[in-house]
Amino acid sequence: MKKVFIPQEENKTTNGQKKVMYAPNDDGEFETFKYGSSVEEYATSLAVEEYKILMEQSRRDIIAGISSPIEYFMYQNRMDLPTLSSIVNMFQFRVKRHLKGSVFEKMDDILLKKYADAFGISLEKLKGLEFND
Amino acid sequence: MTNFEHKQFAHCESGVVSTLLSAYGIQLSEPMAFGITSSLSFVYLPFVKINGLPLIAYRELPKNIINKISKVLGIKMKTEKFKDPLLANSRLTQLVEGENKLVGLQTSVYYLPYMPEDMRFHFNAHNLLVYGKVGSKYQISDPVFEEVVECEESKLMRARFAKGAFAPKGFLYYPDDTTQNIDLSKAIKKAIIKNAKSMTTPFPFAGIKGMKRVANKIERLDTSDKKYVQLFLTHIVRMQEEIGTGGGGFRFLYAAFLKEAKEYNLNIDILEEASHLLLKSGDTLREFALLCVTGSKKYETLNLKNIAQKLRDAAAYEEKAYKILKKL
Repeated sequence: MKKVFIPQEENKTTNGQKKVMYAPNDDGEFETFKYGSSVEEYATSLAVEEYKILMEQSRRDIIAGISSPIEYFMYQNRMDLPTLSSIVNMFQFRVKRHLKGSVFEKMDDILLKKYADAFGISLEKLKGLEFND
Repeated sequence: MTNFEHKQFAHCESGVVSTLLSAYGIQLSEPMAFGITSSLSFVYLPFVKINGLPLIAYRELPKNIINKISKVLGIKMKTEKFKDPLLANSRLTQLVEGENKLVGLQTSVYYLPYMPEDMRFHFNAHNLLVYGKVGSKYQISDPVFEEVVECEESKLMRARFAKGAFAPKGFLYYPDDTTQNIDLSKAIKKAIIKNAKSMTTPFPFAGIKGMKRVANKIERLDTSDKKYVQLFLTHIVRMQEEIGTGGGGFRFLYAAFLKEAKEYNLNIDILEEASHLLLKSGDTLREFALLCVTGSKKYETLNLKNIAQKLRDAAAYEEKAYKILKKL
């Protein structure tokens, strides 16, 4: 029976948890083996990192008056447009408008509350997001 | 319920079903739960985007195992959905406290507080088992964790009512009637042939054709857009890995299933050879993932032709396996 490589590398993204995979043992019978993969670690870290980059871009756009705090919190909560739209139960084109700084200014509290709930934060926190450059 | 054994599995849904049925008297391994429901798959949908990247799946849709297991085993699985989170929560408490049941739940990974921060993404079809409640904390057997965990009920409610694709809607399940009256050998044979057919479908975005399509797509990536190439390649790896499996984890799981199927009076030579081919595919997919990651890390060494070729190699092993499995 072919031997399968079982990686035993560090993976910081799992907080020390090992995962398991199936592989043949010495008798050719399958059983679970614990493994840790640096390949998985890199793929996960890159996805996590991407949200941080998007948040930073959003922060700059908010200061410049282009983006709204909704965009910032969307990325902070690791959401994309389709995910956020379905959580607040609105069409994507509508949510997309709400990501603009100019539109955000005119939104009422009832509407804003939907977003605050989606992010699990208070209305005050959503409205009060401020960055000092 | 304390009369069950927490075990760590490669994949959440097959793991949960294995533990759940075993606790209710039907010994069922994880590979068997996965294989007998024909859960192996490959789907590439470039027009469905997740964070701007195409949907790629390596197994059947979520809930495939839970939905099919009762039919293939001839048992009854009780399933419940809810509109009201409070009602869903009190029903769960009643089941685990009042009726001493082991209960399966569908949840969102993102809202589970015991999940490591870096693992928390909006994936709504994570399965786990609740076996008890102490105070306001549920006792949980999460199949991808080494040990049992706990979760505050308010937090679990949120995870059970996450919105978006595959929204769980409080979905819970447990076996109702486990008297089996079925010819397992027949059921396994049928499941294997069905899966071999679905993997060799003429539909261009699924099965072997889908794998080849992704290989072509990789080869045609525009390397001047470094960021997209990196995200695309690691996205393939993540879709492959983060659902609780390593490398071509689902291929290893299916190879284990084919091996186990040998005990059921079926053609041993076919099963042995196909299991070996799936194992090779799994190992090739692991190498493929490694190439995707090293190419992204050291971008100057990126060789898209080599990466695409690895995926084609894996597809070739699998094509051969399904061809012989259809003759089972």
